[in-house]
Amino acid sequence: MRRLLAAMKKEMLLLVRDRMGLGILFVMPMVLIFVMTLIQDAAFRTLDEQGIPIVIVNNDQDSLGNRIEQGLRNSDLCLFHNEVDGQPATEDNIVNAVKEGKFVIGIVIPEGATQAIVDNVGTIVSASIGMDELPTNDTETAEIIIVIDPVATKSFVTSVTSQLREYISSVRTRIMFETFDKEIAEIIPDDMREEGTNYDVKPAITYKQEYASELTGEVKPNAVQHNVPAWTIFAMFFIVIPVVSSVMKEKNEGTVFRFHTIPASYLLQSNAKLIVFVIVCMLQFILMLSIGLIFLPMLGLPVLNLGNSYLGIGVVALACSFAATGYGILIGTLFSTQQQGAILGSLSILVFSALGGIWIPSYIMPDMMRSISELSPLHWALDGFYALFLRGEGLREVVPHALKLFTFFLGCIALTLIVRRVQKNQ
Amino acid sequence: MESTSVIEVSGITKSYKGAEFPAVDNLSFTISKNETFGLLGPNGAGKTTTISMLCGLFHPTNGTVKVNGEDLRSNLSKVKSDLGIVPQDIALYPTLTGRENLEFYGAMYGVEKQELKKRINTWLNKLEMNKSADKLVESYSGGMKRRINLIAGVLHNPRILFLDEPTVGVDVQSRAAIMEHLNELNASGVTIIYTSHHLEEAEKFCSDVAIIDQGKIIARGKPSSLISENVGCTNLEDVFLKLTKTALRD
Repeated sequence: MRRLLAAMKKEMLLLVRDRMGLGILFVMPMVLIFVMTLIQDAAFRTLDEQGIPIVIVNNDQDSLGNRIEQGLRNSDLCLFHNEVDGQPATEDNIVNAVKEGKFVIGIVIPEGATQAIVDNVGTIVSASIGMDELPTNDTETAEIIIVIDPVATKSFVTSVTSQLREYISSVRTRIMFETFDKEIAEIIPDDMREEGTNYDVKPAITYKQEYASELTGEVKPNAVQHNVPAWTIFAMFFIVIPVVSSVMKEKNEGTVFRFHTIPASYLLQSNAKLIVFVIVCMLQFILMLSIGLIFLPMLGLPVLNLGNSYLGIGVVALACSFAATGYGILIGTLFSTQQQGAILGSLSILVFSALGGIWIPSYIMPDMMRSISELSPLHWALDGFYALFLRGEGLREVVPHALKLFTFFLGCIALTLIVRRVQKNQ
Repeated sequence: MESTSVIEVSGITKSYKGAEFPAVDNLSFTISKNETFGLLGPNGAGKTTTISMLCGLFHPTNGTVKVNGEDLRSNLSKVKSDLGIVPQDIALYPTLTGRENLEFYGAMYGVEKQELKKRINTWLNKLEMNKSADKLVESYSGGMKRRINLIAGVLHNPRILFLDEPTVGVDVQSRAAIMEHLNELNASGVTIIYTSHHLEEAEKFCSDVAIIDQGKIIARGKPSSLISENVGCTNLEDVFLKLTKTALRD
């Protein structure tokens, strides 16, 4: 035990005095989380259809215009604006504003839109009670103009137009009842009618949305929910570089010569390295989570939601730490120079991370790439954190992810021992 | 001097993959207890390969090595604590202090904490390294690194000490200090196996030498006997040049 502690102390001292290594381990991922989250925030909002900026010109200033304005103002779907660069939005300036990317959609509600509905409904009601003829198709209609940025997703445009249709329909229905009421009032004497009918009655059919897991859909993937775990995993796997450097230095500086003649097993040395670097990975993990919990919200970004299972988070993080360190030890053993190990180690992590959905979430990858991403250990870890953070799952659900990562770690260590045996016999 | 063999080498050969000739070719010799045995030879003669096999770093392709009667291949872990190694390369961590390096290696050899502290201080004083012990090794001169490298190999009081060119690249003062303390160690009963290109140093220090070339022992005996056996030679360097010729080696 004393030998193990001495070897761990040595590893810790070497790491603390390696400023470049510390930079790679702690500063680089912190910068990546800040930069990538800020850059991707807008893209994720579009992708997730949350808080997308839209601008409205309400020239109607009547029931329909006010209903649309109020509805979109209260909607989670978009961020409501009625000004462009501090000036009231107009039919003229919103086209350019959308073209310049300031808004994804611009809506112009024309003057007299409500009156057009009133006229239309009035004619229909009069016709239905035999007082007038049905309106012909060439009757004048008010036209709502929707200006769309080509980058807007089809589903978002459909959602907005559906909402508009719903608002128009509800206003039209209300006007229709009011008109009926008025027409009937002219036919039936006042004393036979009930005064002040409220047509805003509870709808006969409602719908209830249920989510398959516990977080009831309130927490949706956003830039923070993706980038914090993603870049944390990336940073944890980038521990390959300092691990390779540590293994290589010992090989090249002759210390390995003394190790092999010491009455302590090579496994003791490897275990000390493993324990220290796993501790470092866990520290990285805590630091990166704190960025998502404390610092990103200070920049106006959403706070990282950790889900319900701290134990699950700990298990996936620990499995990820072992997998990353084991991979580093394997790479350090496989190659004969630090340059080879560092280059191939970092390149392989870049490839694993790209495939694993770190850069771009795998759920927006093509089917074939999504299947390939299943092979990346970084994907197993990210999927584990998605399960915990986004789907609100618990320890039991992430055990398969953790097992995959631990198996990967054991595979790396087994391969390391084989490679070492072959190298020793050469 | 007792004549008990502490190391028995029987027909060891080491062939590296892809090499045309074996680095060490069928060597057999014994080293007696308390001897200062010099393994001398030009570059590429097979000295470091031989030392590496004697201290169990790797196994010979053929042949056996016995240390204190134990076969090294099957009982390596049993004999390891009897062996001390001072490798040719500085086997120290540059970003640790001299003391931290010594504490680490001492602990690896299982020396008890308080005893280790005492031994480290004793050796640092002996080799005049106490003032620099808490500085990083990367800031040391070549001689200082060599002295710490030596201490790291002897902290656990080994019975057999392997020294692979321990004084290479050091100044006269450091070399004198190192050799003085090696003599002290030998006087205290430590068997020393030593390689060097400093033949004058070897002549003074070694009780027995073997000259090795192209993986084979070409001469073996006390330095004085080898000098007298080779007509026209007045020192070990003359003997060495006579036997290994003057052609430059890779």
